[in-house]
Amino acid sequence: MTTQTSGARAQLTSPLHDRHVALGAKMADFGGWDMPIEYPGGGVVAEHTAVRERVGIFDVSHLGKASVVGPGAADFVNACLTNDVRRIEPGSAQYTLCCDDSGGVVDDLIVYLKSDDDVFLIPNAANTAEVVRRLQAAAPEGITVTNLHHDFGVIAVQGTRSDEVLESLGLPTGHDYMSFVEADWQGHPVIVCRTGYTGERGYELVPRWDDAPALWDALVGAIEPFEGKPCGLGARDTLRTEMGYPLHGQDLSLDISPVQARAGWAVGWKKDTFWGKAALEAEKADPKRLMRGLLVTGRGIPRAHCAVSRDGESVGEVTSGTFSPTLKQGIALALLRPDVADGDTVSIDVRGRALEATVVKPPFVQVQVREG
Amino acid sequence: MTDLDYPSDLRYTSDHEWVRVGDDGVVRIGITSFAQDALGDVVYVSLPAVGDTVTPGDSCGEVESTKSVSDVYAPLEGEVTATNEALDASPELINSDPYGEGWMFEMRLADASAVDSLMDASAYTASLS
Repeated sequence: MTTQTSGARAQLTSPLHDRHVALGAKMADFGGWDMPIEYPGGGVVAEHTAVRERVGIFDVSHLGKASVVGPGAADFVNACLTNDVRRIEPGSAQYTLCCDDSGGVVDDLIVYLKSDDDVFLIPNAANTAEVVRRLQAAAPEGITVTNLHHDFGVIAVQGTRSDEVLESLGLPTGHDYMSFVEADWQGHPVIVCRTGYTGERGYELVPRWDDAPALWDALVGAIEPFEGKPCGLGARDTLRTEMGYPLHGQDLSLDISPVQARAGWAVGWKKDTFWGKAALEAEKADPKRLMRGLLVTGRGIPRAHCAVSRDGESVGEVTSGTFSPTLKQGIALALLRPDVADGDTVSIDVRGRALEATVVKPPFVQVQVREG
Repeated sequence: MTDLDYPSDLRYTSDHEWVRVGDDGVVRIGITSFAQDALGDVVYVSLPAVGDTVTPGDSCGEVESTKSVSDVYAPLEGEVTATNEALDASPELINSDPYGEGWMFEMRLADASAVDSLMDASAYTASLS
């Protein structure tokens, strides 16, 4: 067999980098950041299972952070990004998309509405600079857009025992799904948001960059009674794929619009304006391809760019594929011709081998992420 | 990487496979501790068919983990005589016991002395550093 070696070395490191190295994590480049893929004594499957059954903590400090501040900041953001920030109240967060004029997705991100004049953004690592650049270019006089990538860390605490873990640190819990609290931990500010990328009940903590290591250390201790695990980005990927959550660069991109990705729920169609509105409205009437879930019925694992056919005819390709540790089956997200329907049987070409799969509507697993 | 071991009674290839010499020119083949650790959790294994004739470097199977897939190569020339069917249901044996229950296939060598061309444990260990 052959083993792959990583290409160019990542230049950027998280505030928790030395923690990961000390734990013996396997590190890899992720959007230009040297991040943990998995930790020893577990591996992807054990870390995945810890989150589904108990609790896991993830360093996701590579995620971007940015602020939009000034009179009417929320209205300004609302006129740029797709979702309707007027659907939420201050103290809540929202999943939204930054599109270009052609409807392609520059990034998908989370908007934290602090007040009408203060909005916090969590874009993807590799896209932060571009999102900030576009917002800065569009910002009217008086509104300041600032890239805060290295001002904050982000630690996700995910799984049914998350509340108990946070309570043991004296952090607030139990707020509504997608809402956040600006809390204090040992004299340091930390935002506690009921969000995540795993499908499990959980929180994402946003401490200041320099406060992140102490918070991480406290969390490592706090998860011990629950047999929780530090989890790498490998498990984060299998968890999100089981939920059918898109990953920018694979399932969303400048070439894959929210209409195709069936992320129309994150588009405020009734708003007067947002970037890409005209193009997306036109595409909505006649999409050329749509995102579907594929549940493999045979043995094998689909991967990104595997071709998909039905009755011998090409109907599209896989955008994300992996092994589902929960189902013990291959699963995939695929962009398929719109006439392919849930329940259809298709064939995935996995390196020359035909793998049969059923078209399904994600999520692939049932979870209780929203429950109070 | 401290707990990875490379038994001295095995031979090794640069593709991170091990070869155990048995009786009558039959050898057993698997992947090394280094390889299974690099792959991570193995979740799917495909193996050659019994009766296949293979030559060195032939791709004759795949080991797939949650994050990547790697080809399995024939280390030497010969005929496949057995495969480890337990890996169908329990591919994780490759992680938990790479030199034992995680073996992959057996082959009868065309030339039993060809094993001598492979690395011994000290040469393989040196190749990893």
